Amino acid sequence: MTTSTVTAPASAGKPAAPDPARLRRRRGIAQWGFVAPAVVFMLLFFGYPLVRNVVMSFQHYTPKTFFTGEAPFNGGDNWADVFQDALFGKALWHTLVFTAGSLLGQFCIGLALAVFFNRRFPLNGVLRSLILLPWLVPMVVSGIVWRRILDQDTGVLNSFLDTIGLGGHTPWLTSPGMALFSVVLVNIWIGIPFNMVILYGGLQEIPRELYEAASLDGASAWRTFRSITLPMLKPVVTVVLVLGFMSTVKILDLILALTDGGPADSTQTLGTLTYQNSFVQLDFGAGAVVGNVLILISAVFAVFYLRANRTEGK
Amino acid sequence: MTAHPPAAARRGRSRRAVVPLAAVGVLLAGTALTGCGQQRDPDVYTVMNSSTDESYHRWDAEAMARCSKRLGVTVEQQSVPAAQVMTKALRMASSKSLPDIIQFDASEMPTFADAGGLVDLRSLGLSTDDVPKGIVNFGSYKGTYYGASRSVNTLALFYNKDILDEAGVKVPTTWDELRDAAKRLTQGKRYGIALSAGGAEDGVFQFAPFMWSNGGDETKLDSPEVAQALDYWKGLLKDGSLSKSTLNWTQADVNDQFMAGNAAMMINGPWQVETLNTDKSLHWEIARIPVPKAGEDSVGPLGGSVLTVPNTDDEQRERTAGKIVACLSSQKEQLTYALNSWMVPANAKAAAVWREKVPELDALADQVAAARSRTAKLGAGWSSVSLALQSAFQSALTGQSSEAALKLAQQRATSGNRG
Amino acid sequence: MASVTSTQTSAGHPSTGGGQRRSRRSWGSTVAGVIVLCVMLFPLYWMLNTALQPESGLLKVDPVPGSLDLSGFSKAITDQGGHLLTSLVVSLGAVVICLAIAAPAAYGLARFGLRGSKTIVFGTLITQMVPGIVIANALYNSYVDLGLVNSYFGLMLADASLGIPFSIVLMRSFMVSIPGEVIEAAQMDGAGPVRTFVAVVLPMSRNSLITSGLFAFLFSWSDFMFALTLNTTDEVKPVTLGIYQYIGAHVGDWGSVMAASVLSAIPAAILLVLAQKYIAAGITGGSVK
Repeated sequence: MTTSTVTAPASAGKPAAPDPARLRRRRGIAQWGFVAPAVVFMLLFFGYPLVRNVVMSFQHYTPKTFFTGEAPFNGGDNWADVFQDALFGKALWHTLVFTAGSLLGQFCIGLALAVFFNRRFPLNGVLRSLILLPWLVPMVVSGIVWRRILDQDTGVLNSFLDTIGLGGHTPWLTSPGMALFSVVLVNIWIGIPFNMVILYGGLQEIPRELYEAASLDGASAWRTFRSITLPMLKPVVTVVLVLGFMSTVKILDLILALTDGGPADSTQTLGTLTYQNSFVQLDFGAGAVVGNVLILISAVFAVFYLRANRTEGK
Repeated sequence: MTAHPPAAARRGRSRRAVVPLAAVGVLLAGTALTGCGQQRDPDVYTVMNSSTDESYHRWDAEAMARCSKRLGVTVEQQSVPAAQVMTKALRMASSKSLPDIIQFDASEMPTFADAGGLVDLRSLGLSTDDVPKGIVNFGSYKGTYYGASRSVNTLALFYNKDILDEAGVKVPTTWDELRDAAKRLTQGKRYGIALSAGGAEDGVFQFAPFMWSNGGDETKLDSPEVAQALDYWKGLLKDGSLSKSTLNWTQADVNDQFMAGNAAMMINGPWQVETLNTDKSLHWEIARIPVPKAGEDSVGPLGGSVLTVPNTDDEQRERTAGKIVACLSSQKEQLTYALNSWMVPANAKAAAVWREKVPELDALADQVAAARSRTAKLGAGWSSVSLALQSAFQSALTGQSSEAALKLAQQRATSGNRG
Repeated sequence: MASVTSTQTSAGHPSTGGGQRRSRRSWGSTVAGVIVLCVMLFPLYWMLNTALQPESGLLKVDPVPGSLDLSGFSKAITDQGGHLLTSLVVSLGAVVICLAIAAPAAYGLARFGLRGSKTIVFGTLITQMVPGIVIANALYNSYVDLGLVNSYFGLMLADASLGIPFSIVLMRSFMVSIPGEVIEAAQMDGAGPVRTFVAVVLPMSRNSLITSGLFAFLFSWSDFMFALTLNTTDEVKPVTLGIYQYIGAHVGDWGSVMAASVLSAIPAAILLVLAQKYIAAGITGGSVK
């Protein structure tokens, strides 16, 4: 009833014959209505900070700026300063090692667990839920807990290793050679649940019939995995890896809580460096430069990913 | 224009597409309006400090309540983590929403003063008559008195009396004695000494007494005196009397270790006393930090925070804020605060009374009298030197030679002065 | 595998025998799963264990709490209870905002073939590249101008930004898999795009909605940077910030810190258990026609 009353005057006012071009346009605009809020939101919450950061990296931005609002442009001075700093090269290298190590560990273990839980066995659901718990703990908190666990003298990890006769004096966080490894280890622990959830979801979407067919053909477990699971899982795998890369490369709070970038800058990454430049040294221009480098690295990665996707699509 | 009628039609329709957008906008605007509704209460004054710790928060609240009553205004505190005070203050400066009073760590004050953010306290009528010259300088930047301290502190050697007695070790006064004592006190899971060589201001604060007592100086990090001090730390580590975890410890961690009996001695400050006293079975005492050779002066770093009045362009409020600072740092309030927090009152008269009341901390009062401010020579330049120094001692303690690490640090410190 | 078991159990009752074998084997998987779980959850156990020994000072913590000392918890609840509630309110708000913005966008990008869709999808990727600290820093001044500093809504909006790009990507990939015939059928019935979306697409994507909501909740729950940056007073203080302040320079009270940490994981854990049903049962739902 209501629909008829609404449509009646509309059809009276305008010619009833639907103009296909107009309809299409009208639909197009309505369709944009779905997308527009998200676009606006992202422009405000990501676009604006991004642009501002780029501008800031070319400015002499100091504590004085906060009072006067004046930040004179200084060309590429901030960039030159940052690139000349020996710490930058170190931090870049640590960032790459940290990201590669974390992703490799998270993904492999996450996938193994996803495959494991994709089978039927008693208490599967309960165990699978519980294994997500590490992910629920805020990173600041995980950092605190792990820092105590990994303490060289009083940490429970070393006392455990001591009990089973495996030394027990490993300087997990206090030797420059070990610290980065330990930080990666903790980050793997944090990342496993995320990888597992998404990959498990992907596995569930693979039709069971494919596996049944494979087992009828007498394919081994490994072959089934390689020729059915992996190819079918590929889109999910890329999502996991791309998102994983982007969140790992810029990690900050975990490292601050675990090592604060030390000892002797051995866990200083681009994420901690941008923090240190901006908020410890109060050299906001230099901080912005490092932030931009981080964004650039991710962008290069994203371009490769998209290109790979496109060539595959065609 | 008439040739393009669809333009008008398109505009009409796009209005419809804008509906969801508008909804978001209205939501935003609605809250924006409610947000703007808050007005600054003329009789409420805010102090931003770093008293996030429960007892400090309470002591400050009590002091502020007393001053509120005396001055007929309401003084409130807003506590943020120590590491956040500077960045918060800067952000508030840019948004013109600074609090009336900010309590800065004295080593950070010059940065904010240098940016033009602070009001000369003398111009607000604060007197420095009873404040020792060293402490006036502590709160000054380029000759202007910006920060009134209530109490000051420095580092001292804390030792576990029971352990020392049991091992028959007497309290060390020189570097050699300290090294020897630390070695003898190291036993099983217990280390002889704990200190913080962490890669943050804590570590630099702790290195300072060793650097300065040996004649080293923050303006010349690559001097042999600084290298010797660093080699001394390396020696403690090599002997096994100092845990390698020192690199990852804050001063609070050091205190935890000491309290758990994992270290027989520690370098730490009086702000830990409150925590130390929670364990009745722990018998600790303090001494001055040992010096390189007998008879030399033990120079510690002067620590503590100062109350400042930020520049808000509201003279009326600034004047009242000055009165509040004067009240909070008055002799009486200083004594109360110092007795609570175990720190030494800044005011000379109050300090004299304090010494009588807490004789067990006498050594600390001596150490404070000789202590030196970190920013006296470098002012706002301290932060880049501090960063370079952290990196240097961390590298040296993990294998690099002290000379090489410090040489690099000196280069970084001088090139890093972009500000 | 199946053939091996059947030949071995040919004596006796083959069917039940095979069943027992299989179940024994699958109980073996359960045992393996429990072992994996123990390793993964050990740090959390240690957190709980420490929380239950507040007197131990953390440096000499026993592997198992000797007695049930809940003083750490009671202190944590008095100190952090309010902050937990704040976290809950802010995170739920962030989830609502996130889904309200992301779900339509995901549908639009998945279905409409709009010009510029690719750019937008790429844009969502770019958002993931901007470090949180850069965002928080830039937002502060705009927030001051809009009066959003120290407000629940302001923090909800900021926290929603953590989940929106991710939710768009996730839901879009699910909505792409919704069979076109279903949507066309709805359109044949005369439903406009909004009605199609609300009445057909959303119910079908229930599981991806819940999954996205869960992610958004978790992102927001563990946010620390925005809470630290966009607040200047203690009015809106989520539990992450509370715990961070707990471990301030003077506190040696690890029992309470750990108790607060345990508490901070509980609401999220409950939500996870509730949502898990949908995630597990449902992700396949998209492909079931």
